[in-house]
Amino acid sequence: MQKASKRAFIRKVKRITALFAALAFVFAAMSCAHQNDRSAQATREVFAMDTYMNVACYGKNAEKAADAAVSEIKRIDALLSITSESGSIRNLNEKGSSNVGAETAGIIERALDIHNKTGGAFDITVLPLMELWGFTSGEYRVPEESELKAALDGIGSEKLSVSGDEVSLGGALGIDLGGIAKGYTSDRLIELFKEKGLTSACVSLGGNVQCLGTRSDGGAWRCGIVHPFHKDSGVYLGVIAVIDKAVITSGAYERNFTDENGVRYHHIIDPKTGYPAETGLASVTIVSESGILADALSTACYIMGLDGASAYWRNSAEQFDMILMTNDGRVYITDGIADSFTSDFEVRIINR
Amino acid sequence: MKAHLRDIILIAAILLIGGIIALVLLLTRKTGAFVEVRVDGKTVASYPLSEDAEYDIAGVNGGVNHLIIRGGEAWVESASCPDGLCVNMGHIRHAGASVICLPNKVIVEIVAPDSGGVDVVVGQ
Repeated sequence: MQKASKRAFIRKVKRITALFAALAFVFAAMSCAHQNDRSAQATREVFAMDTYMNVACYGKNAEKAADAAVSEIKRIDALLSITSESGSIRNLNEKGSSNVGAETAGIIERALDIHNKTGGAFDITVLPLMELWGFTSGEYRVPEESELKAALDGIGSEKLSVSGDEVSLGGALGIDLGGIAKGYTSDRLIELFKEKGLTSACVSLGGNVQCLGTRSDGGAWRCGIVHPFHKDSGVYLGVIAVIDKAVITSGAYERNFTDENGVRYHHIIDPKTGYPAETGLASVTIVSESGILADALSTACYIMGLDGASAYWRNSAEQFDMILMTNDGRVYITDGIADSFTSDFEVRIINR
Repeated sequence: MKAHLRDIILIAAILLIGGIIALVLLLTRKTGAFVEVRVDGKTVASYPLSEDAEYDIAGVNGGVNHLIIRGGEAWVESASCPDGLCVNMGHIRHAGASVICLPNKVIVEIVAPDSGGVDVVVGQ
């Protein structure tokens, strides 16, 4: 009798032990699978172009591609920075004309093309204005109107001329490619990733995002767009799901200062007036396959305002889409991406 | 009678093992958000946002940022950098929010196990 119950007890213990062992195995397998997913990822953080950048590569070759991305970012920063001694821009700005090399000449030509198409809203010659307002040094001040008027004579991309690799400033006082350098860089990184055989990667160059392919799980990249009035609060203006796209925002909230009278001045300077563009927009987000175009247009469309930007989009909708937020909190989106966008706020659609 | 006693011992043993497993899971579970500190791209520390504390972060080139975590918020109270932008960036408490000191290459970021289902944040 006693022996039988002892045997039953041992059987019970064995059965329960087996159950626990099975459970433990399942859990271990699950956590292992999870780890494998993550180990395919290579991330890098880079401080360059006066901001910080994140690079995330997935799949085979991810480590090599991420290292190559870091070198490429540093190379382009040195090439295009207005303060870099080894770069092409500083020399041009000092001498008024110089051979800047094929790569820089190509970027300047692209900038001139966008300048023409946007009716002058995008302009790489606004450097003297940025200096007057203190946005280059961080020593902010409101310039006198006479100072701005005098500076405006030296502003205007139409003064520039490009012939081969030779660039001449004409009557312009200097150029700064800061408005497209990050967009150009993210385009270059995506090209580089493709060369390395990657199919999934995402870079954020100081909040300028560009994605290659899909996420490693096949889903679209979910990009949360900073809400201009709830910065750092975890509230997004909305989330846009993209594949193979650059998503770049310009907003007054990014860099600004308030004078002694409580008036706020931001860094998006209208090249026609010399003053920060006040068009009723709080932020403009451009979604495009081209990083350089998205970077330039985020600034240009901000300066054009809601109506101007909408009209511009209707003429070139195959190249980009956009999400606008007005100062009174209204959200507008062009119909090409409306289905990929989710937001907690009321969204109005801009149709062709 | 004896078999009955053994059943009780067995049940008690299972409960005890279950309790220990539950306790271990509970203690190692990442419930709240963390304050992650990165210097020049490398994660140097991670502190729970729920525990009040103060730390000196050693940035690049001998730079120092004094980090305070208190009441579910984190901020840089003082710093050796010339511009002091990191101090002016204010307090952060939501996942994804960060304080950045470019001169010292220091990033203080709130990271949470679930950051709202977003892969990447657009805008600064």
